Amino acid sequence: MSVGSPVNPILICRDCDTVYRAIPLRRGDVALCRRCDAVLARHFGANVESGLALVCAAAIFFAIANLTPILSIDIAGMETKANIWFAVRSLQQGWISVAALGLAFTTFVIPAVQIALLFWVLLFARIGHRPPGFGPIMKLLHHLRPWSMTEVFLLGALVAIVKLANWVPIAAGAGIWAIAALTIVLALLGRCDPASWWLIAPADKT
Amino acid sequence: MTPLKQSLELGLSLCRTCGLVVSREALRIDPRCPRCQSRIEQRTPFSIETTLAWLIAGIVFYIPANLLPVMHTSGLLGEQDSTILGGILEFWRSGDWDIALLIFIASVAVPFTKFIAIGLLLFTVRKNSRWQQHQRTVLYRIVEFIGYWSMLDVIVVALTSALMQFQVLGTAEPRAGIAFFCAVVVVTMLSALSFDPRLIWDRPA
Repeated sequence: MSVGSPVNPILICRDCDTVYRAIPLRRGDVALCRRCDAVLARHFGANVESGLALVCAAAIFFAIANLTPILSIDIAGMETKANIWFAVRSLQQGWISVAALGLAFTTFVIPAVQIALLFWVLLFARIGHRPPGFGPIMKLLHHLRPWSMTEVFLLGALVAIVKLANWVPIAAGAGIWAIAALTIVLALLGRCDPASWWLIAPADKT
Repeated sequence: MTPLKQSLELGLSLCRTCGLVVSREALRIDPRCPRCQSRIEQRTPFSIETTLAWLIAGIVFYIPANLLPVMHTSGLLGEQDSTILGGILEFWRSGDWDIALLIFIASVAVPFTKFIAIGLLLFTVRKNSRWQQHQRTVLYRIVEFIGYWSMLDVIVVALTSALMQFQVLGTAEPRAGIAFFCAVVVVTMLSALSFDPRLIWDRPA
């Protein structure tokens, strides 16, 4: 099930409010605003099957990233490990815990919610139904987007390796590869034009 | 080529949440988007005021974020409190100039760029300036894009504290500075999200 390209017969630039008449886009095409170069629309290449496959991959990588150590240090048999949740817990100290809350939301809760909601939406789209709560879910996904920071966590883990490697034997675990893969999969899912996601579920019949 | 027109001239409105184009006629009856039920506004209400408020909060939080230590380490080499700038200097002196540069960009250059860029956008929009509208829109998009990378230091401190838990050899603990730094990231992101870039292109009525 593939979705046709023209989203709206009329497009309005988000950044400068200029109105355009939409033209059909071919594979790889990106429509840019003539006045401010903002992306108006992309060809919507993703279909429900590939979207669902990407979401399942994301869920698996997310699980691996949280169940295996991302970094570990082993000094003479004494071992410490760290993953996203360990990092959050280490910030739980008195009122500094507000930072733990920030970290928990941006690197754990929000990516998990994004994956779960996209799975819900795409699963129903796959069987040709509009999922319960479609509108609020899509709205929530739109508002969560800027706050998902998996790629920053990946960079942070790499910096921590270099930082600590000078004095302790630090090793990267399977989790770091899972985080890297998760970053790529989430980027692929996020590249789809958000306006087009509204078309993946058939319109409400009620 | 037909001249470019803004949505106002054509009686249309854009739902910024879901991207639907709605006629203003329909919005007069119901101001909500027929597709996603978000309230559709011609311009984000109180955009300048909200952006400025979050910006000021960000600048205020940035001061303790830099003055207070972000991490406390203790071990064979003694006890030490380190600040963000101190940490960057340490990397620089020990020859890790690349890591020093990376943390400098994420923790110092990015927040500063955000303060100056958002301040400039607010000032020019208030003056209804027509100066460099295209460049200023690009500036807005850069601010939006770089925003969350400042979280880097929070993550590095958290991971270091989680890993360095060796009673004899050394331990690391987070300190108050990191909470303020986290607040700077959140608050400046809220500032950028409150700004309505369409104001750059509006003519004074």
